[in-house]
Amino acid sequence: MLSRLHPLPKLVLCCLWLVAAMLIFDAEFQLATIILAAAALVLLDGRSPLLVVALMVPFALFGFGFLTTSILFRQESDFALHMAERAPFGGAAFSAGLVLFLRAIACGMVSALFVLTTDPGALVKAMMVSWHLPPRIGYSLFSALHLTRDLASEAHEMRLARAIRRGRPPRRIPGPLETVSLVVPLLAFAIRRASRLAIAMEARGLGAARRRTVTGAPEMQWRDLLFTAAAATVLAAAIYGVPFSNTLSKIVSTCLKW
Amino acid sequence: MTTQSIASWQDVAVRYPYHREAAVGPVSMAIRPGERLSLLGPSGSGKSTLLQTLTGIIPQSIDADVVGAVSLFGQGAGARTPAQWASHVAQLFQNPEQMLCGMTVADEVAFALENQGLAATEIGCRVAAALDRVGFPPDQRNRRTMTLSGGEKQLVALAAMLAQHAPLLVVDEPTAHLAPAVASRLRGLLLASRQASRGVLIVDHRHDGMLEMIDRVIAIGADGTVIGSGAPREFFRRCHARLASNGIWVPLAVALDAALIDAGLILDQAPLTISEAMAAIAALDDRRRTIAHDVAGSFAARQLAAAHRSRAEAEIVVALSGVDCAPLFGPVILRDVALVLNRGETVAILGRNGAGKTTLGAALAGLLRLRLGRRSGPMGSICFQNPESQFVAGSVREELATPVADHNLAEWGLAGLGDRHPLELSQGQKRRLALASVMGGKNLPLLVLDEPTAGLDAAGRLLLRRRVEGLAEQGSTIALITHDLDFALATCHRAVIVGEGRVLADGPIVPLVHDQKLLARAGLDEPPVITLLRALQC
Repeated sequence: MLSRLHPLPKLVLCCLWLVAAMLIFDAEFQLATIILAAAALVLLDGRSPLLVVALMVPFALFGFGFLTTSILFRQESDFALHMAERAPFGGAAFSAGLVLFLRAIACGMVSALFVLTTDPGALVKAMMVSWHLPPRIGYSLFSALHLTRDLASEAHEMRLARAIRRGRPPRRIPGPLETVSLVVPLLAFAIRRASRLAIAMEARGLGAARRRTVTGAPEMQWRDLLFTAAAATVLAAAIYGVPFSNTLSKIVSTCLKW
Repeated sequence: MTTQSIASWQDVAVRYPYHREAAVGPVSMAIRPGERLSLLGPSGSGKSTLLQTLTGIIPQSIDADVVGAVSLFGQGAGARTPAQWASHVAQLFQNPEQMLCGMTVADEVAFALENQGLAATEIGCRVAAALDRVGFPPDQRNRRTMTLSGGEKQLVALAAMLAQHAPLLVVDEPTAHLAPAVASRLRGLLLASRQASRGVLIVDHRHDGMLEMIDRVIAIGADGTVIGSGAPREFFRRCHARLASNGIWVPLAVALDAALIDAGLILDQAPLTISEAMAAIAALDDRRRTIAHDVAGSFAARQLAAAHRSRAEAEIVVALSGVDCAPLFGPVILRDVALVLNRGETVAILGRNGAGKTTLGAALAGLLRLRLGRRSGPMGSICFQNPESQFVAGSVREELATPVADHNLAEWGLAGLGDRHPLELSQGQKRRLALASVMGGKNLPLLVLDEPTAGLDAAGRLLLRRRVEGLAEQGSTIALITHDLDFALATCHRAVIVGEGRVLADGPIVPLVHDQKLLARAGLDEPPVITLLRALQC
């Protein structure tokens, strides 16, 4: 169901939610965000719960860094400690670290929700139609999507070409030196591909006419309005459920102290 | 050039920056409305460069000095930008990867029409009609182009070109990477229906199966100047020797015609296909027909000499048993493969686009982690389908990395290019360099060549054939992945045909390519030399 929604209201809502997750320094809000995003993916988009849990892993690893930093290096975490005046999970350092940890997962899950339920082509087309994104930029984004996949196979072929020269098979995972040595050739490949594609697009008339037709762009429907209203209400309720004003005043006072 | 031409080059020569010599020219030629013109030439003769001057891509987007006059529909090419010419000139590039921008199939076909600002309903109709014409199923039209096979991508690119309804179509080596069945379908779509006002310009190294539909041929020599032109029948008979000496492809029927002429037999009409040649031979009187059959029989035997000669020794070099293999990041596409290659053997790996030939080649070379099964044997070398992936050095000479690099360059027709960056070369020259860098090495127990003839001219093919024979004589085992059945028959004794997710057949190549049912299953067409043999046996 989420995949059939217009990408732009979804994008705006996800951005608003990300901003809220950044500003509201409250574990319950972050937890609610994670649960809502996971539930939406499982119940409304039919994703496997296992996949959703697996998606959290990289964000959890990232957030774990905040948790350990907060506990082990309290001096460096002064700002977070000021923000986490409430310490429902034990010590202030742990509580602050936990909120940062949850925030990393919450932001990751909101982003994942958008990425997994949005067709990139539909998003770019909607931006070209509704937000007047220039076609040159729009089609560059399309090409970048294409290129990302090709870069991996090109890197693989480059590794094979070098392995053939060396006379022994490549390692399963490239070492640091090998990885660094691939950067420049891959960059050159990307530039080469991009210039060829730009020439091909020009040969097919991109930029020739002042007015360009865009076919197949998603159109706003009643379900988009209903979804937007429902999601905005849930966001407002979640914000209302935490001492938002306290948080804001804490941010201001901390900034003033700094 | 002429007032009637829709496109013309008048004494045009192109020189790239920092190059002393012109890449092409001076060339004068023209295309008339409704004409289907073929441009032939050896690798590096500047065919693609010439095409790019037509709509001003050179020099407006790619920097180069252009002298002479290029005209399109009565205007100078520089009067508009390349994008503005798109409503008049539709182009199909050799590699569809260069053309498709990662959208869905329908979006890709609509792209040029959207750029012209046509109404959405008009675009919808044209997109549906073009995709119907190339036979793309309606339920596949929302697929992303990056998930398509090479053949499907080329068909989408062709549909995108046809949907433009442009009065001039320009096509640069459209079938170089396609399996024969797809290639002949693409040629048919491109040329079968003649339109009075639409001109078609095709650049290719080989024109199998489409010469009957071509009105005129122009050949450019290695020095970038025109060496001859004319209607195909008359042109190939007249210029056969000159084309061959310039390393330019001639059809098998033309070579047979030349052999008959050498034997004192001149057919009434110069043949363009083996069927035409055999029909003309059948119309001869008994005595001359007998002589013609003898000539044609020994001609066919010469073509198949390598196919009948096995160099395989008893020693096993590489063996796959119970192997399931998959490309990088992809699903398993070949299951339960059991294959043994012996020392000194040259084996063709044949099949349609996406059948798993390249994956099998990488598995044979030991450069691919198998999903299941076992491989034994030394690591092999691969010459990749895309020659650019092979290059690791900053100059052509460094790429060869041998003390006799200059000798190797001369051998591969790359003399004088040693100081250039490999990516500055033409497609055919890149292919030669990639082959030289892989085949120049010593001690090659196993070599996999992936589409080595794509983009290669006749001289390059002959050179490659000799190198393959030379390596096989030294004991190297060679797996040749190719869509070019003529080349496979000229170099290999054995063939492995893949399709339907497995090895369909493995055995001596001549009986396999006689099996028309098997060829159809594998998306292959009968090669002309087998058509000749079949006709001689009747």
